[in-house]
Amino acid sequence: MDDTLLWQIRHFVYQHFADTTHPPSVDITAAHFDITTEEAGEYYKELHNRHAFFLDLEPLTVRMANPFSGIPTDFKVHANDKTYYANCAWDMLGIPAALHTDAVIEAVCTESGETVQLEIRDGQITNYQSTNSQLLIHFPLPFARWYDDLTFT
Amino acid sequence: MLLFRSEEWIDKWCERNNIARGEALTIKQVWELSKLWYHNRLSLDYHGRNIEQVAEIFKQAGLTSDFWFA
Repeated sequence: MDDTLLWQIRHFVYQHFADTTHPPSVDITAAHFDITTEEAGEYYKELHNRHAFFLDLEPLTVRMANPFSGIPTDFKVHANDKTYYANCAWDMLGIPAALHTDAVIEAVCTESGETVQLEIRDGQITNYQSTNSQLLIHFPLPFARWYDDLTFT
Repeated sequence: MLLFRSEEWIDKWCERNNIARGEALTIKQVWELSKLWYHNRLSLDYHGRNIEQVAEIFKQAGLTSDFWFA
């Protein structure tokens, strides 16, 4: 396996997420790098094994390229005239951090079910309503266990 | 990682799901952590991090309890 191509594919997947809000299919990646679909699939699996992103295996699809989610979630991030989905409450802040851009975030509070809105502007959280002053993000597992079950984490 | 209105809502969720409580950070703490964690994620040169690099990010973000140790 070509290590240079491996990391180029990781970069391509992330850039595709940034440009389009969703991951490239294996076919799109194969065509971009002029390799077979089977080869592209093997590179995807290797990147999954290295925790570069997280796959659904049937069909082979990028489920998470943190902070981006390949499926809709309760954490929407509006930025650069697009709407991204984040994997979790941390990743909803990770998207504007990764894109180095302003953003408006809509998220649902777990248990209470309330929707809240946050704004990132010039590197700071703004439009931070006083009613949101106690907003917390809960990390259920210590760092040493994050990769035991990434979907739960 | 999930978003909660308050400590009380976290306690309710943990109890209802029979899940041990982890650590709760404020939204501003997680924003500062996010900038350190994700700022270079779209770079071609980003190949992941080793344990020492992760520990340094947590330290810079002020996260120093055992919960954040590998």
